[in-house]
Amino acid sequence: MGTKLNNKHKAVLSVICIALFLVLVYLGDIMIRPGSSMKMLITVIEKGSIFALVAASMNLLNGFTGLFSLGQAGFMLIGAYTYAIFTIPAASHDKVYQYFNGGVIKWSIVEILEGRLGIVGHYLGMFLPMLLAGIVVAFVGFLIGIPVLRLKSDYLAIATLGFAEIIRAFFQWNTLGPITNGSNVLRKYTTYNNAIFPVFIAGICIAIILLLINSTYGRAFRAIRDDEIAAEAMGVNLFKHKEMSFVISSFFAGISGALLAMFQTTISATPFTTVMTYEILLIVVIGGIGSITGSIIGAFLFTAASEWWLRGLDAGRWLGISSDLMRPGFRKVVFAILIMLIVLFYSRGIMGDKEFSWDGFFAWWKNRPAAIKAWPAKRRAARAAKKEAFALKAAARSRAKQSKQENEARKASGEALFTPLPVADHVIVFDKEGK
Amino acid sequence: MVYGILRLINFAHGDVFMWSGLIMVYLVTVLPMWLSAIIVVIFAVVLGTTIEKVAYRPLRSAPRMSIMISAIGVSYLLQNFALYITGGLTKTYPSISWLQKTVTIGTATTKMVTLITPVLTIVLVVLLVMLIKYTKIGMAMRAVSRDFETSSLMGIDINRVITVTFIIGCGLASIGSILYFSNYTGINPMSGAMPGLKAFVAAVFGGIGSIPGAVVGAFVIGICENLIKGAGWTTFSDAFTFVLLIIILMVKPTGLFGEKNLDKV
Amino acid sequence: MDERKVVLKLSDLTMQFGGVVAVDNLNLDVHKNEIVGLIGPNGAGKTTAFNCITGVYEPTNGSIEINGQVVIENYPKGKMKDAYKGRNQGKYTKALTMLPDQVTRLGVARTFQNIRLFKGMTVLENVMVAMHMNQTASVFGATFRSRKAREEEKAMREKAEELLRKVDLYDNRDDLSTSLPYGKQRHLEIARALATQPSILLLDEPAAGMNPQESDDLMRFVGRIRDEFDLSILMIEHHMQVVMGICEHIYVLNYGGQIADGTPEEIQANPAVIEAYLGGDE
Repeated sequence: MGTKLNNKHKAVLSVICIALFLVLVYLGDIMIRPGSSMKMLITVIEKGSIFALVAASMNLLNGFTGLFSLGQAGFMLIGAYTYAIFTIPAASHDKVYQYFNGGVIKWSIVEILEGRLGIVGHYLGMFLPMLLAGIVVAFVGFLIGIPVLRLKSDYLAIATLGFAEIIRAFFQWNTLGPITNGSNVLRKYTTYNNAIFPVFIAGICIAIILLLINSTYGRAFRAIRDDEIAAEAMGVNLFKHKEMSFVISSFFAGISGALLAMFQTTISATPFTTVMTYEILLIVVIGGIGSITGSIIGAFLFTAASEWWLRGLDAGRWLGISSDLMRPGFRKVVFAILIMLIVLFYSRGIMGDKEFSWDGFFAWWKNRPAAIKAWPAKRRAARAAKKEAFALKAAARSRAKQSKQENEARKASGEALFTPLPVADHVIVFDKEGK
Repeated sequence: MVYGILRLINFAHGDVFMWSGLIMVYLVTVLPMWLSAIIVVIFAVVLGTTIEKVAYRPLRSAPRMSIMISAIGVSYLLQNFALYITGGLTKTYPSISWLQKTVTIGTATTKMVTLITPVLTIVLVVLLVMLIKYTKIGMAMRAVSRDFETSSLMGIDINRVITVTFIIGCGLASIGSILYFSNYTGINPMSGAMPGLKAFVAAVFGGIGSIPGAVVGAFVIGICENLIKGAGWTTFSDAFTFVLLIIILMVKPTGLFGEKNLDKV
Repeated sequence: MDERKVVLKLSDLTMQFGGVVAVDNLNLDVHKNEIVGLIGPNGAGKTTAFNCITGVYEPTNGSIEINGQVVIENYPKGKMKDAYKGRNQGKYTKALTMLPDQVTRLGVARTFQNIRLFKGMTVLENVMVAMHMNQTASVFGATFRSRKAREEEKAMREKAEELLRKVDLYDNRDDLSTSLPYGKQRHLEIARALATQPSILLLDEPAAGMNPQESDDLMRFVGRIRDEFDLSILMIEHHMQVVMGICEHIYVLNYGGQIADGTPEEIQANPAVIEAYLGGDE
């Protein structure tokens, strides 16, 4: 396949795109004044990246290992609490734990490290509890996995769901109040101050998940998903690999829980219900079960739609249409109907089980439909033309480099030939042809 | 009870249950009690069969995961729709005077509903068991629960059987909801989720596919939960159900009265 | 008698499901480099015997030796103690079980009657999965691409490609496994089994659904891999042409019980076998 140079180009291209995105997010968060409608964009990016991470971790289980697990919300809950508990400044303990005499933990990792190492310590102090959150959740996942992973499909789903509920009850238990603050909220813990933080952390975690999936272990996971009995007959230790996948998925769910805690600035056990797990699952489904790229796109679409684009449905006016039907709650109904339509008629999701690749992107760009071709010309003619020229040049360059042979190989291997499908919003959607 | 036949966790079952309650709340404001009760049952049946037609039937040959996802999607939709209708407020269930009547047996006094619930349950269970054991459609149900394909080859109209199953299941759910909400009068969009899951736990407890098993399971869960609440562990009353579920799944995955299943290689 | 070493030995193997004895007191030897056939009418218990050997089922009674070492042994216990209908109860006293992946690690690989390829994966990946068990890199090493993991991955890829060349699937290596034509899928299943580096290969109806021409090819193929990979092969097969053509020794099952064993010539002349296949005279 692709020559070395070509791969290098692709890597450079990816790095540039990611770096550019990070810089934009960073600047965006600084420049956009609170109250501006564009602030919503930043919120969507923050929340979207957190959910992208948890969706990716769920996809690792459901899409790549074939384990239908519904415990993600419970794992996020533990992660969120672990992070919060260890980062509440000492001075605030009396206020936060007002019903529990200031709680038992009277220190904060952030403060300890900040006192010794200054600003480096501050970030290290945020990073370590986050890592700890991941590790604690991974350990809990390990313990839960031992009995649960012996179960089959529906039973596994309901048992993990059950564990999530048990965890929730546990954290609301008043006897543990000095640590968890019982059914009261935890607040005043250290949070990040720029949207780049969650994007960056989630990005790294998702990259790790991608690396895992493309390793020999990832292959073993997919073998289990495709056929447990055959995988076992090929020497794959079922339990060991399922447990591994479960623990790793829990770890990242824990990290995303910690990020969510930072995003929300207060945390309580109440919202981490099965409904939250369902929402994560629906993100995975929208994006495509078995595609991490899909999970990322799904997460951003989901948050953007529920937090931003469809807001107007609650307020009475949306896209210039106003109706009496549109009152609080209508957004969620429309949203749920959209999701149902996707589940029923478009069950492969946006990406199916394909991942984003530059080859696929250029191939798609080459064949993009007229509507999309015309769109940039109409809206932002000058800028779009420049962009198009660049992309076409790049595509031409890459095409020239790729030998004819390679093209044939690609065709023969049935690699993603993207057909674009415009969906609800002005967002571009990929689907694999056939089947 | 739908679980047994379809071998599918109907995540939306609890929401049908909740919706029956909700419809009742709205109906009694305009209609007499007995009429609204009947309409509620009809409504639940229609809702259930619609769900089955729209969300499950097209996916019958799809992998289990898709069906479960579809079920979760339906549940999500029903909950959000209820949220929209009620505006997220908790509605008060109408008190059905007949059910709230106090009865005195010997020295003990209790509400009618407490008395009627177990009696009605037993009657319905007996009817259901008889239906499944002795009628033609019952026999078809048992066959379908074993093997979709073979039973369709045997000339059983699977769609019809499953529809009937949903009719019965949802009808029972709506009757259950009348009894349940007469006791716990607050009803909100989320109040179906827990009973729905608990019903599943009860079914697993008793052994999937065994109706008396499910009833025994439900009673055990109910009694244990009240004991736990009584012991002052209210936070854990819901969690307990799941602890129970997990223990059963570990120790005896076939449930109390269930049958064994073997995988063929 | 055969002078070669016995690599797989089933002794009094019995498998009872509830009241049904699926395999009844099966005694079978596979010698080094031998191709052994296991035949019998449908439902005779052939695949069940395979499942016992590969650890999918726990046999009810009897033992299984691989390379001279007893690795699976069982005796009727619990409810089965009274319900047991087979023979040799009390002869075995140990309960040794193995999971399928452990059996594979011992060098016993298998194919399946109804092809079980990894559907979502390419031909090459299918083969590479079977090499996964010999990886020494940890999951961290593999994820973060440690030098060891990279080297192993590269070696694995090369070995898999070499194997695919040997079975004429190299040109299809990047195809989705399920997009292959039926015959090639069968070949891929065998290649995948070979990738686990077995010393004993169990083939479950490799020629099922093939026309005479294809079965001939398969026959030659099986003979070739036996020599090339130094294998001992136990195969279940219905195509008499294949069985008689390549098997050195044949065991015949009927209703779980063993009704005959011997060379192809002996089997063809055996009245009990003819009766089982063609029905009784009465």
